[in-house]
Amino acid sequence: MPGATKGSDNYRFGREMSPRLLGVVMNLPTLLTLALVLAYPIIYAGFLSFHRVALGDLRRGVYPYVGLSNYERILSDPLFLLALKNTLVFTAVTVSAEVVLAIAIALLLDQKDIWTSRVTRFLILLPYAVPPIANGLIWAFMYNFESGFLNRILFTFGIISHPINWAGHPSTAMLALTVPYIWRTLPFAILLLHAALAGINRELFEAAAVDGATAWQRFRHITLPLLMPVVVVLLVLRTSFAFTVFEEVLAITQGGPGDATWVAVWFSYKRSFAPPFDIGLGAASAWVLAIIVGVLAIAYVKTLYRRIT
Amino acid sequence: MGKRTVKGSSLGRRELLGAGAAATLGAIASTPRGASAQTATWAARPAAKVDKLNFVVWTYGDIYTKISKKFQDDWGIPVDSTISSFNDHPAKLMTMYAGGEAIDVSQSSPFSFPNFISQGLVEPLDSFPGAADYVKDFTDSAKQVAMVDGKLMGLPYFSTVWVWNYYQDLLEKAKFEPFKTYEEFMEQIRKAKKDKICDYPVQWVAGVGLEQLPGTWYQLTWNRGGVFFDKAGNHQLGAGSIARETLKWWVQTFKEDLADPESLKVQFTTSAKAFSAGKNIYRGPNHHYGLNICNDPKQSPIAGKVKVMGSPGDGRTIGDTHVYFITSATRNKEWAWKLLQYLGGKTQDGQYSQANNLARDAMLGSGFNSVMNSAAVTEGWKPWGDPQKILEIWGKATYIGEMCNSLYKPWHFPWTDRLNIEVQKALTNQISADVCCDNLIAAIKDVQR
Repeated sequence: MPGATKGSDNYRFGREMSPRLLGVVMNLPTLLTLALVLAYPIIYAGFLSFHRVALGDLRRGVYPYVGLSNYERILSDPLFLLALKNTLVFTAVTVSAEVVLAIAIALLLDQKDIWTSRVTRFLILLPYAVPPIANGLIWAFMYNFESGFLNRILFTFGIISHPINWAGHPSTAMLALTVPYIWRTLPFAILLLHAALAGINRELFEAAAVDGATAWQRFRHITLPLLMPVVVVLLVLRTSFAFTVFEEVLAITQGGPGDATWVAVWFSYKRSFAPPFDIGLGAASAWVLAIIVGVLAIAYVKTLYRRIT
Repeated sequence: MGKRTVKGSSLGRRELLGAGAAATLGAIASTPRGASAQTATWAARPAAKVDKLNFVVWTYGDIYTKISKKFQDDWGIPVDSTISSFNDHPAKLMTMYAGGEAIDVSQSSPFSFPNFISQGLVEPLDSFPGAADYVKDFTDSAKQVAMVDGKLMGLPYFSTVWVWNYYQDLLEKAKFEPFKTYEEFMEQIRKAKKDKICDYPVQWVAGVGLEQLPGTWYQLTWNRGGVFFDKAGNHQLGAGSIARETLKWWVQTFKEDLADPESLKVQFTTSAKAFSAGKNIYRGPNHHYGLNICNDPKQSPIAGKVKVMGSPGDGRTIGDTHVYFITSATRNKEWAWKLLQYLGGKTQDGQYSQANNLARDAMLGSGFNSVMNSAAVTEGWKPWGDPQKILEIWGKATYIGEMCNSLYKPWHFPWTDRLNIEVQKALTNQISADVCCDNLIAAIKDVQR
C-alpha cells in the first residue's frame, strides 16, 4: 500500500525528535554559517592581536607571538585614546538623537487620520536604502565650503553671511559627521518603534482619555513604558553600530581636520591597512572596541531591559 | 709617453688601414649585437606559457585599458586589471597579497615603496634582459626611487615637480606681477583681500595625504634652504629651524583668512578643479600637471588663463617619481617583466609608448631622459602650459628624499600620518607651529618603535 510505505518513511530514523532537539537541528545551519562568517574572523583577529604581524606576513604565515604588547601599545597611544573619546562622543550624540527623533517621528506616522503619514512612511525609508559610502559622498558635496548646497541654502535664507567650513573646521567637523549618520540610520529606528507602537492596544489610550489623561500623560504613562523593551533593543543595536562608524568618516573628513574626527574604527583601519600594515595592532584595537561595545550592551540589558521585563 | 703620442698622431697607411679595419670590426661586433640584444629585449617572446597576467594599480583616466589592449594585441595574452583610488591602493594591493592572490605588476608612490619592499612584495629587476639599459636612461629622480641599496626595484611611472600657479585675470585685476619673494607674496594677498579682489587670494594643497599637505610644507621649506632630515637622518625641526619657521609663516596665511579654507581638504586633482573656479589668485606649490585640468576648456571656465611660475629666491623646488614594479607574487617573472615594460618601459616596437602617451595625454613627466627631451614633452605639453617654463623649473628640482630622507624608511609613512594630523591642527589654530613641530619630533621615536 502506498500509504503504508509513506508511513514507514516517516519513522525511518526511529522516534520523532523532541522539540528541543528539533530546535537545535534547525538552528545548526544558521549557527554554522555565523560561526564561519562571524566567529572565525573575530577569533582569528583575537589570535592576530597577540602576534607581531604585518599584512605581508599573513601570506608567509610566519609571525612571532608578542603577548599583550599590541594592547600595551595602543592603550598608551594618545591617538587611540582620543579616537575612543571621539567615538564615545559620536555614539552618545547619535544614539540619543536617533532615539528621541525616532520616537517623535514614529508617533507622527502612527496618526492614521493624517493622510500624509502614509507618504511620509514611504519617504522615510529612502535614506535607509542609500549605501553608507554614497551617503557620505552626498553629504561631502553638500558641505562643500563655497559651492555646497547647505551653505547656499543658509546664505539664501540669510541665516549666515559667510560660508561655514562644516567638514573642515575642528569645531564643526564632528557635527558634520553625526548629521549624515543620523540621517542614514534613523529610518531603522523609526521602523522598529513604529511597529512597536502599532502593537499597543488602542483601548488603553481610549480608557485613559475617558479618565481625563492629557496627551502628554498618555505618552508618559502608556506609550513610553510599553515602548521601552524596543527602545532598549534599539539602544543596544544603535550603540554597537555607532561605535563602528567608518564610511562617513572616510567620505567626509578622513579623520580630519587634524585628529578632530579620528574614531576607533578609523584608527584600526589606518593601523591595519596603511603602511606599515600592522594588522596585529589593528586587530588589538578592534578587540578593545569590541570589548567596550560588549560591556555597554550588557550594561544596557542589566540596567534597563531586566528592570522593564 | 711623448713618443707614443707623436707616433699616434702620424699614422702610416698600413696602421691607418689596420686601425680602420679594427674599428669597423669592432663596430660590427658591437653595434649589431647591441641591436639584436635590444630586439630580443623588447620583441622576444618569453618561453614560458601563461594564460593571463594582471596588474594592480590606481586609477588614471583610461591609460590601463589602452595598454592592456596593446599588450593583448601584441602578445595574445589577456591582462586583468584591479584599479582602485590612489589612497586605497596600498590597502588593496597588500590585502590581495596577504590573501594569496597572484599579482604580476603593481605600482607605488615613493612614499609607500620602502614599505612594499620591507613587506617582501617587490622583486629585484637587475637580472632581467635590458634592465641595465633602462637605468642608463633614468633621470636622477627616477634613480633615487627605483634603485634601492644598489638594486633596481622598479621602472618609472611618471615624474613631477612642484610649481606655483596663478590666475592671470585676477592678478591683472589686482595690478600685481607674479611675486618674487615671500614678503611680496604676503603683501599681495593681504592687499587683494583688503581690496576685495577675492575672498581668499591663495589656495594651498593641504589635504591629508602622502605628498599633498606634507609636500607643500616640504616644498616651502626646501625653497627657503631648509630640510626635514639631514643626510645622517637627524630631524631638522627644532627651535629656529627653517622647517619650523616656514610652518609659522604658512599658518599665518590661515590665521589672517587669506588661505582658502577648502585648502585643507583638497588633493592635487580636486585642488586644480577648485582653482579652476577662478576664485583665487595663487595656487600654492603643487604637481606641475594640474595645468591639464585648469587649462582644459572642457573642465575649466578659466582655461588658458592659469599660468605656471617658479618659486622665489633661487627657484629651487622638489620633485618625485612614482614607479611600477614586479611583485613577488607573480605568475611568471619573465612575462611579468614583459608586462612591466609595457607600463614603465618599452613596448614591442621599442618605444616608450606609455611614457609618451602619459606626456601627451596627461602632461605627466617621465623618469626617462630620452622622453623628457623628446617632442612628447616639448610639444605634447603645449595645450596646457609653457613646456619651456616648466622644464626650467624642472632643472631646479631636487628629489624629495634629498631633503626628507626618512622617505627611504618604512616608518616615514606612519610618521606622515602624524604629520598630517599635527600640521592640520596647526593650520586650524588648534595648536601652535612650535607645539606641532615638538609633537612631530616626539612622534619620530613612536613610529620607529
